[in-house]
Amino acid sequence: MSDNGINRRRLLVAGALTGAAGAAGAVTLHDGERGADPRTYSGTMPWRGGAADAPPIAEGGTGYTFFNALEQAFLEPALDRLIPPDPAGPSATQANVHIFIDRQLAGPYGRGDHYFLGGPWPKGVAEQGYQSRLSPAQVYRLTIPAIEGHVRGAYNGKLFKDLAVEDQDKVLKSLESGDAKLDSADGKMFFTMFLQNAMEGYFSDPIYGGNKDMGAWKMIGFPGAHYDYREWVGRHNERVPYPPVSIKGRPGWSET
Amino acid sequence: MARMNRIAAVVGLATIGLAGAGVASLALSQGRINASSTAPGVATPTQLLTQPIPDGAPNIDQIRQGQYLVKMGDCVSCHTRDGGEPLAGGYGLNTPFGVIYTENLTSDPDTGIGAWTPDQFYQAIHSGIGPHGMRLYPGLPYTYFTRATRTDSDAMLAYLKTVPAVSYRPPANGLPFPLNIRFMIRGWNLLFFRPGDFKPEPAKSAEWNRGAYIVTGLGHCGACHTPKNALAGDKTGVPLHGGDLDNWVAPDLTSNMRTGLGRWSSDDIVEYLKTGRNAHANAGGSMGEVVSYSTSLMNDADLHAIATYLKDQPASPSAAAYDPDPGAMKRGAAIYSDACASCHLQEGGGQPRIFPPLKDDAVAQQGDPNGLLHLILAGGRTAPTPTRPTPLSMPSFAWKLTDQQIADVATYIRNAWGNRASAVTAGQATKMRARLGLKTVHLTDNSGDHG
Repeated sequence: MSDNGINRRRLLVAGALTGAAGAAGAVTLHDGERGADPRTYSGTMPWRGGAADAPPIAEGGTGYTFFNALEQAFLEPALDRLIPPDPAGPSATQANVHIFIDRQLAGPYGRGDHYFLGGPWPKGVAEQGYQSRLSPAQVYRLTIPAIEGHVRGAYNGKLFKDLAVEDQDKVLKSLESGDAKLDSADGKMFFTMFLQNAMEGYFSDPIYGGNKDMGAWKMIGFPGAHYDYREWVGRHNERVPYPPVSIKGRPGWSET
Repeated sequence: MARMNRIAAVVGLATIGLAGAGVASLALSQGRINASSTAPGVATPTQLLTQPIPDGAPNIDQIRQGQYLVKMGDCVSCHTRDGGEPLAGGYGLNTPFGVIYTENLTSDPDTGIGAWTPDQFYQAIHSGIGPHGMRLYPGLPYTYFTRATRTDSDAMLAYLKTVPAVSYRPPANGLPFPLNIRFMIRGWNLLFFRPGDFKPEPAKSAEWNRGAYIVTGLGHCGACHTPKNALAGDKTGVPLHGGDLDNWVAPDLTSNMRTGLGRWSSDDIVEYLKTGRNAHANAGGSMGEVVSYSTSLMNDADLHAIATYLKDQPASPSAAAYDPDPGAMKRGAAIYSDACASCHLQEGGGQPRIFPPLKDDAVAQQGDPNGLLHLILAGGRTAPTPTRPTPLSMPSFAWKLTDQQIADVATYIRNAWGNRASAVTAGQATKMRARLGLKTVHLTDNSGDHG
């Protein structure tokens, strides 16, 4: 994206200044989403039988495809400190959040396809969103070894997984606050992304690899991929009886 | 009679030997899985058919009448190839015997019908014989058009001669020997073709007779809606009892309360033909083209005449009572609740004229479930019409549901809320999925995040 010679921000500025943005038809502006380029249709709306906006289904079972052994050893205990097991619901790893993050980092999200990663890289404000030149996969790959280096220095050569949970929490809190000083990595930015990804994996549709058996949805009573409740608009103080359903269904679709 | 049987045997052997056994019908391939698109700069079929005929020509009334009759005959649906000029032909009709390409009907003298005489045109639609004496393949529904009057035939030709010439020669037909010998059609015609004028029923009203003239003539409704025999001839004993065509089902048009028009009033029929929607159904698939390019452009009097005639058709026999498998019904109910009820509602009531109700729906309850399977697998699109121009569409569920799940939800829809029809098997869903080419996921242009 940064190597195609077009600096998007400058292009937008130039377009705004010259009023030529609308005429820049020859230049394809990428909006960050991987989809079709803008097109003009006339006559009837296009429609193709059998075609669908089908989501990508996470594949590969429960083995890792992105994380290496060192990363896995940090990832799983760290996730279970963010979302520990309790009587209300599954822990992060019980819900396969680690598999969700693994598949995400191996795909378009990990490559940063959704982000503009070209320069310049001045320090932005929070409202400006993601401001790193690193893709999410690069953030994980660079930061986890730096965290382990920090842990080794602070805890007599131990790995994060071998710390007492209280110490694990201290490490995570110091990442969150920015107090932990890492070699050549931004611990605070990593923690923000990591916590975000953990929540996404815990609550997103199981087709993406996490939220195993819709455990998180059952915990909070979320019915899943139902998108219409017109029949319930006038019915108050009743429980909606629908069991949670994934984009790809639920056990009731196939049970004999 | 003996002579007739011999011809039947000859044609039959040729058919079965070459096209394979189990040929069910001359199901014309009018069901294009893609909504037809027109290249930039080319008039759409609707634009051509609704173009005002300017004053000036001495036979102006005849030309205007001809334009109307070309709409009534829905010539444009078959005589337009995808992306091609309307009426320039070249659309491939998938018959069980091979592909038949439609002729160029524009006024081009070399490749179109610009040089045809009124006698030649009448001979083609009345007798199925081309301008040089060769027999036309019954892809042209001359078995119906034969009832059109000479006056109407002349008017159609007069109009077609005003359609801007397009020089385009359709590809050669892809029929195997000996079906490529047009002489063979003679045998078929002897069996299934009764040339003759429309015979009014004096006991019926003028409106009824006008409806009969349209339905059994230029409207050629039975070409799809009448079941076919093994040699693709109409089963004339069961007119309009429903047929299959190109992976769709042309529903029963008799007064049957489940599979036919028994629950539709005359006004319902008129509304459907005019707007593409009514309280019971939306027009899509092949019928969507018929509505877009033909019935929605016809006048109200003729639509009422069609309705009067159809409402007078005796009901087809009802299907036997049937007890669906409780397991399939339970799974089907679960799938329906999660995947279908958002639009069609839990009790199948739908949102009339937007999302068709499935309770009491005729397509759902046809003996042949292929129309329902086609809709679930490929989705569908309601035909846009002048009165209701927004083309609503139903999404494809091919990527989301397994063949067993499709079969179960289809069985449920066919037997829930008082509906009644035979169960659907996973094998039927598998077969339809293969016929529609949907074994792999087809993404829309806008699907993101793959790879």
